[in-house]
Amino acid sequence: MQILELENVAKSFGKLEAVKDLSLAVPPGTMYGFLGPNGAGKTTTIRMIMEIILPDHGEILINGQPNTSREILDRVGYLPEERGVYRKMKVREALEFFAELKGMKKRDYAPQINVWLERFEMTEVQNKKMEELSKGNQQKVQFLTTVLHAPDLIILDEPFMGLDPLNANLVKDVMLEQKARGASIVFSTHQMDAAEKLCDAICLINKGQKVLDGELKSIKRNFGRNNVILAYDGKSDFLKNNELVERCDDYGNYVEVHLRDGVNPQALLAAAMQQAEISRFEVVEPSLHEIFIATVKEN
Amino acid sequence: MKKMWTVLRREYLSRVKTKGFVIGTILLPLFMLAIFILPTLFMFLKSDKPKQIAVIDLTGMVFDSLFVTLSDTNQAGQRLYNFVKHQIAAEDLEATKERLRAAVNQKGLDGFIVIPANIFEDGTAEYQAKSVSNFRENEAIRDAINRVVTDTRIRRSGLDTETIRQMVRRIKFTTKRVTPEGKEEKDEGFTFAIAYFLGFFIYMSMFIYGAIVMRSVIEEKTSRVVESVVSSVKPFQLMAGKIFGVGAVGLTQFLIWAIVMGLLSLYGLQVVGLFAPKMAGAQNIDLPSVSLGVLGFFVIFFVLGYFLYSTLYAGIGAMVNSDQEAQQLLIPVSLFIVVPILLMTYIIGNPSSQTAVILSLVPFFAPIIMLARIVVEMPPLWQIVVCLAIMVVTILGLIWIVGRIYRVGVLMYGKRPTLPEIIKWIKYA
Repeated sequence: MQILELENVAKSFGKLEAVKDLSLAVPPGTMYGFLGPNGAGKTTTIRMIMEIILPDHGEILINGQPNTSREILDRVGYLPEERGVYRKMKVREALEFFAELKGMKKRDYAPQINVWLERFEMTEVQNKKMEELSKGNQQKVQFLTTVLHAPDLIILDEPFMGLDPLNANLVKDVMLEQKARGASIVFSTHQMDAAEKLCDAICLINKGQKVLDGELKSIKRNFGRNNVILAYDGKSDFLKNNELVERCDDYGNYVEVHLRDGVNPQALLAAAMQQAEISRFEVVEPSLHEIFIATVKEN
Repeated sequence: MKKMWTVLRREYLSRVKTKGFVIGTILLPLFMLAIFILPTLFMFLKSDKPKQIAVIDLTGMVFDSLFVTLSDTNQAGQRLYNFVKHQIAAEDLEATKERLRAAVNQKGLDGFIVIPANIFEDGTAEYQAKSVSNFRENEAIRDAINRVVTDTRIRRSGLDTETIRQMVRRIKFTTKRVTPEGKEEKDEGFTFAIAYFLGFFIYMSMFIYGAIVMRSVIEEKTSRVVESVVSSVKPFQLMAGKIFGVGAVGLTQFLIWAIVMGLLSLYGLQVVGLFAPKMAGAQNIDLPSVSLGVLGFFVIFFVLGYFLYSTLYAGIGAMVNSDQEAQQLLIPVSLFIVVPILLMTYIIGNPSSQTAVILSLVPFFAPIIMLARIVVEMPPLWQIVVCLAIMVVTILGLIWIVGRIYRVGVLMYGKRPTLPEIIKWIKYA
């Protein structure tokens, strides 16, 4: 049984079809990346999973059960894209409030809160009002409320947004710990390198439709091994050779090239050496970044 | 249910623990007292400053008696009205008036009285002053002139003034209310005061607690915390928890006031009694007694009114992004609350008229108007039952509609929705 399943889910706002006939499945214990350009329908989908907005049609199952009861959703932790806290509440009170909303008993959440505050180095500020905290600390508290009740499924909408590298690292570590504990994590992000390093599987949506999904490893394999990284110094006219190059991502003296089907990478190297000095040449798997751009553009 | 309780507790505690709550609990009763007692008190306060008033006495006979008759003094023993006689010929009247008006404006003079030569027949006495809005002062002057002129008339006809006065003295008249139990009850305008007071209390509560509910919704919306909350609790439960929580805050305040009032009356410090003697000049006034029945109806109408209006306020909060944006939408709601207060005097005067009956059955007016009717003259039971039934049905309907607006509205940031959009929310939520 999958931890999360969407079957033919659709949602329109007036004339705008935000999500069209979307189906996906997240196996238990997976780190699942939910990717797509701005306005692709990621947040709408996530809000439907949390039953904050209702789909026009389709079914959403969590642990095999419809998400229409809050008891099912009690086993889910959710970090919305739009962050917000009760500004007048004290840190600890806010954590207690959300733990109780998730159905926890005081004797269960009280020790948990202590552990988490310690882990996030926030024990000293637990009796401060939220509004006295820095933006970063407020975000940390909100992130805490999503993992405090040890949920089976954690849904994070842009978890790294607005965090400094230190806190981003902390969030990443906690995500990995939660996965090790057995939780499944679905998160949306624009940071392809983070997604690439973290994800077991991804789903890429564009204009409300799924364009690609599955295990990251097999997606990369299917995308082919005709990707080349070149570090060069000199002219770059060889990149304009349409017989060899299908597309490329040129940074001036570093370039990622996607070769045409059937082209031998050595042919590109030969062409490049005639015009420039080559300091690096490597045949690689396509990066998620590249897969993202290629797939979205193709669409 | 448990989650609604969690929301309710947060709403309640986060308000009761604030300084605002303590201050509000102390200030509101003082404010209400001030509103009721101060204007009356001011009206009865004698102005201490003696007034310079010129008297143009064209009869030549009134001035001396007037000077004796209207001889009230202030606490320092000075005459309140310093009359100055102006003996002039009838032809100079207009010119003299002109001159006196100038004197009034240059502050030396407070006003002047003109007593025409034909005052004993059907002439009109005239009082001109910078301010003639103190009706007690006007009355004092009128009564004094009236008395002097009447006495002169009687004397001229050859009769004895004292005898005539004895003959025309006023009869005594008292009013007593028949209670529903068929007993008589002294009523010196207190029924009126109670009806007004309770109505005004509900009126203020609807505004205050409604606004608290609305602001609470707007705050969750603007701080964006609402999305985290509604992922754990159904929007409807959130709304209900909020309304119950703020309602509980209101009842807590009532309880505090009730206990304080109880203590005050136990120790004989009857607040109204402190002011009453000055107002009516009487030493012993029975404090208005509010029967338990009326108190029960007050609680019922307060609770129903609160649910009705706080639901409306919650809906408005869900539709807007800021307090300022809410103002426009609040106008119709405020009208619903204000109209019954404006109609109060009429309703109290005619509690069983057809208009009063119809108005008291309108659910938005009922909390104030039906309660006023109950206080003044117990309406037939069926009317109360119908009124309560209409209110309950209206509240349930409103909760259904607003629950749907709320569900969509709390997640809509940005532009305020148009009416067609809101109708769509209600249909599709």
